[in-house]
Amino acid sequence: MESDWGSPRFVAEQFHRWYQSNARAIPAPTEIKQREFAFLQFGGKTMFRHIGFPDELTFQRYLKDNGPAHSYHSSSYYQRPEADMAGKGWVGADLVFDIDADHFDLPCQHEHDTWKCKNCDEEGTGKHPEICKCGKAAFEEETWLCERCLQAAKHETQKLLDMLIQDLGFSPAGDLVVNFSGNRGYHVHVRSPRARDLDQSGRREVVDYILGTGLKAEYLGFNLRAKGGRSTLADEGWRGRAGRALYDYIASTPPEEIKALKLGRKITNLIVNERDKALTILEESHPSILLKAVDLSDDEKLMSDLSKLMEIAVKSQAADIDTVVTTDIHRLIRLPNTLHGKTGWQVQTIELDGLPDYDPMTSAIAFRSGEAKVYVRHAPKVRIAGAEYGPYTQEAVTVPMAVALFLLCKKGARIEP
Amino acid sequence: MLEREAAKYPFLTEAAKLVDALNLQLDDLASPAYEKVLDRAAERVVQAIEDGAVDDALDDYMTELLSFPIAVMFVSAKGEPFLNRRYALAEAVRVYFLLQDEERDKLAQIARDDFGWALKDSGERYDGVLHDFRLHFHDYLRSSSSFHEDKWKLVNRIVKNGYVLLTQREVARLIQGEAEILIKDRLKPVKINLPEPIQRRLDRVSKVFEENRTRLGGEGLPSEVINEAFPPCIRFCMEGLLAGRRASHMERFALTSFLVTVGMPLDSLVDLYTSVSDFDPAMTKYQVEHIAGVKGNRTKYTPPLCDTLRTHGICRNKDDICERIKHPLSYYRIKARRLAYQKPPLPPQASNITQQSQ
Repeated sequence: MESDWGSPRFVAEQFHRWYQSNARAIPAPTEIKQREFAFLQFGGKTMFRHIGFPDELTFQRYLKDNGPAHSYHSSSYYQRPEADMAGKGWVGADLVFDIDADHFDLPCQHEHDTWKCKNCDEEGTGKHPEICKCGKAAFEEETWLCERCLQAAKHETQKLLDMLIQDLGFSPAGDLVVNFSGNRGYHVHVRSPRARDLDQSGRREVVDYILGTGLKAEYLGFNLRAKGGRSTLADEGWRGRAGRALYDYIASTPPEEIKALKLGRKITNLIVNERDKALTILEESHPSILLKAVDLSDDEKLMSDLSKLMEIAVKSQAADIDTVVTTDIHRLIRLPNTLHGKTGWQVQTIELDGLPDYDPMTSAIAFRSGEAKVYVRHAPKVRIAGAEYGPYTQEAVTVPMAVALFLLCKKGARIEP
Repeated sequence: MLEREAAKYPFLTEAAKLVDALNLQLDDLASPAYEKVLDRAAERVVQAIEDGAVDDALDDYMTELLSFPIAVMFVSAKGEPFLNRRYALAEAVRVYFLLQDEERDKLAQIARDDFGWALKDSGERYDGVLHDFRLHFHDYLRSSSSFHEDKWKLVNRIVKNGYVLLTQREVARLIQGEAEILIKDRLKPVKINLPEPIQRRLDRVSKVFEENRTRLGGEGLPSEVINEAFPPCIRFCMEGLLAGRRASHMERFALTSFLVTVGMPLDSLVDLYTSVSDFDPAMTKYQVEHIAGVKGNRTKYTPPLCDTLRTHGICRNKDDICERIKHPLSYYRIKARRLAYQKPPLPPQASNITQQSQ
């Protein structure tokens, strides 16, 4: 009997079987000869890196023979993908984005995520604090997922795509590929000559653009000296987005929250007590009119208050991407359409038009037949392929194979003999 | 290409072809006929060091054109990365001033034909300002990569359908940026024996450089590690480490590369990491040595720029010094100098600020 939580041998066998019948349907990434591949096996701690494939057939045979737990390819293109890092000969890299609900602050995390301090055994739900009461900051975490996290990740992905298409001009048909990550998020790959040779500093600027980092409203119309008449709410790019962000913030933030920012008396008065007036100005006039309406002689104070407001407001318009993944020009990223060893789901390429209706917990299920009996130590309620399972605490259950593998891959269960 | 054009913009390929066609050898340049050219070449570098800008002396086109590759040779021969940056910028500033007087079409021609930019005409007005041009963001990001003012950040620009809207003056400034990159690319370390008249000018350049090194911030780092001079971002990383917070890769990289660069011994660094957490000593040693350039591909990593730390959320608790600098090491130099002034006066030999190569 396997006593290990997660029963890796059983899961490995299932993965292997899946690849036996599905490997040949997994397309190789574009320009396969210039890509590095990397794999992790179940129970193994070492990543097999610096692997290259001459063609799609060899690539598919590798998957079929090895049934890996996790599969990756380089976003970069190399002259010699099999050489060590110094000898690879970097020629370019796709621009890649990772959106992962792990990084978000969501109410549902309190329902399915828990943490425990390694030092003093203090525990809680949701995200762990920066530093525990005991002064240490090392935690054990258990993270699950639900439709709401996935929905939140999808929302961020849609905002990202909007910026990539409308602002940066990438073609939805030719340049962009969207993948469900197989766990709590989405990956977007941009394959375009205009993205390929961007250096790290260029990619950093793109990251700052997507996140609204370093945004200064004075360059986006909110400038006392600006001449010009029309409202910016319908404008393109961040000019419009900044205006809309502030509009939404003023319209929807409770007065106490605005007061807590401790802005100047006059600006607080305008956006709290004369809220409708402020909103009308933003809708109908140039943003400089809003600044003039504050009627403050201290320009510096006014602009610093505005930037405090903007810093909070722009978050709703920005897309919450991982900063490291995009700026790394040697990144390994999950291979589309392979299996994710921490969920048993498929990393799935999604048609852009299909994204709004895409539901990973129905579509990304790889194991569609059979069932298994598992002993679950702990699992919150999950909804898979339209049916609800759990919550489970220390009980043996017989469930469809997809559910069993999900519980096993999450290390919340083991196979019941 | 006309001689006048080549004299104005000697870094362009067409200008270089004109020089190549003359087939001049080093010994030719040593002849008295080229005195003026050699003097102007030395002057270019001296102006870069002293004023941060080369002036636009266009009274003699050939002297102006030929002195450029020789000035490049002088700077290359010095092999000082700091001088390379300063010289490339100073030549680029000269270009910017010349571009101010050019017609709109001339700007567009340099951008499109010489640099291959995707530059298109526009004519849109925003906030009362006419934007003559739009440039693909790909070219924009490269040419603006050395600019640090907020107005150049992509997020603060009007970006539509892949293109960034620009005024004519801004296009000139971006051409300056691209020129700086082109000139910097030509500055590769060389070792050559120069004929006496040329060597004499190089010696003069060297003397001016040494006289100005400290004033211009090209000086080394304090000889001892001064913890109190660490910038707030590095303190943030350090405090996180001491509390046992699981640090991001970027945080650890910033901290390690900073500590290595300011001269913390590798062993102390490994001890620091392993004492506060459950890091595996062997693995930690490997990673620290990798960043220090002792292992792996032998690149010694310098800490990331302030901009990079900001992108990754590590720029925290900014203070007044932060407003003046772009790199955590500059903060460290300034703060160390400040602390040294605040201390009771020490006899000169006890000062802990010494020259050290970086």
